[in-house]
Amino acid sequence: MNSAMTRTICHVLIVLMAWMPVHFAQAGIISTDQVVASAAQAERAAVLGLVSRSDIAGQLQALGLDPQTAKDRVAALSDDEVRSLAGKLDALPAGADGSALVVLILIGVLVWYFFFRK
Amino acid sequence: MTARRSPTGRSARLAAGVFVCALAAGCASFFPQTVALRDARPADLPQRAEIAGTPFFPQEDYQCGPAALATLLVHSGAKVTPAQLVPEVYLPERQGSLQVEMLAAARRHGRVSYVLAPQLEDLLRELASGNPVIVLQNQGLGPFEKWHYAVAFGYDLEAGELVLRSATTERQVLPFPVHEYVWKKSGYWAMVALPPDRIAATAAEARWLAALASLERTGDPRIARTGYETFLKRWPENVGGAIGLANAHYALGELAQAEGVLRDAARREPGSVVVLNNLAQTLSDLGRNDEALALIERAVAAGGPFAPAARETRDLILSRKSSPGRSGQK
Repeated sequence: MNSAMTRTICHVLIVLMAWMPVHFAQAGIISTDQVVASAAQAERAAVLGLVSRSDIAGQLQALGLDPQTAKDRVAALSDDEVRSLAGKLDALPAGADGSALVVLILIGVLVWYFFFRK
Repeated sequence: MTARRSPTGRSARLAAGVFVCALAAGCASFFPQTVALRDARPADLPQRAEIAGTPFFPQEDYQCGPAALATLLVHSGAKVTPAQLVPEVYLPERQGSLQVEMLAAARRHGRVSYVLAPQLEDLLRELASGNPVIVLQNQGLGPFEKWHYAVAFGYDLEAGELVLRSATTERQVLPFPVHEYVWKKSGYWAMVALPPDRIAATAAEARWLAALASLERTGDPRIARTGYETFLKRWPENVGGAIGLANAHYALGELAQAEGVLRDAARREPGSVVVLNNLAQTLSDLGRNDEALALIERAVAAGGPFAPAARETRDLILSRKSSPGRSGQK
């Protein structure tokens, strides 16, 4: 249990360190990102931002990405986008291949001829 | 004989009429936007449009995300292939691509990615303005989900048809009701990706600004600068846009320009803590700590959610004042 805890702490610290340069590059300037978010959201972002980013990076790894790619991809997300993923990575739509339209098109064409064209 | 047929005919016609009405009512709830568009066609919307030269990338297995994204990016002038986008959007275990990653990947290539309002009319307006649109469809039936990205690049109002690049089909023509049926399940999700010197035809001020802020957060500040300049030409009164432009100037080391933009913004909104804070920081970096201190005191006094940041800036300015050697230019 002790080693599991150590591992978790290490994991969190590594991810936090990886984020440091991005978040503290411009010390005195308030970022546009913060301005655009409403005040309440900005506060939530300050509390949740770092933690949920590391969580999401970990979840992306579990879905087949290598650690560096997962980190780069989370870095490209805005705070709002990160929040929209939290706890939902398995449930959100993932657009993939498209076929199977045949039945739909048949139904649709019928409806369209009788309805849209009047 | 005729006397006997007539009532039967009448009741058959009545039954048919009831059936058609029920069907129409049912359809109206299946395709509300198609019906709304049919009943009230916006006068300023062109009858038809098709974006010539829209690229076409027949997708490999499961990879319609990278293919659809490449279609938009290449159309907007970026040099990229679907294969290069696979590591940016494809999730192996999900065998597909998430919406937010589609948006984020477009930004990584210097484009403003913007989710359209969930309206068929907005989709058509973007097409009429020459912007291809990625739509997320669910082609499954009932409980079976089959998510797919396709790129709309044309329409014909008279015929009621949308034209798309989809999977390996170069020119798929979908009647509006079919399109709406598969599109509705994604909450009418659609996105455009435009170079920073352009604004989407249906862009809303606040959401376009948020899209730019997301681009600025991860992208090249020169691209962000162009984006904010374009934004301010359309919405010159927007203080958030001015803050963004000043931040881009600041990130590029163009402190004098940042000061100019922030002073303008401060005239329009004298009480903005963010404007005062960022202006004070900029002036301090220019070695003008006395001016900076006067401004930051006003920011600290104003309070609000950014007060802690303002206090930090004040501490920095005070420490620079007390040891002027370290602040550089004086």
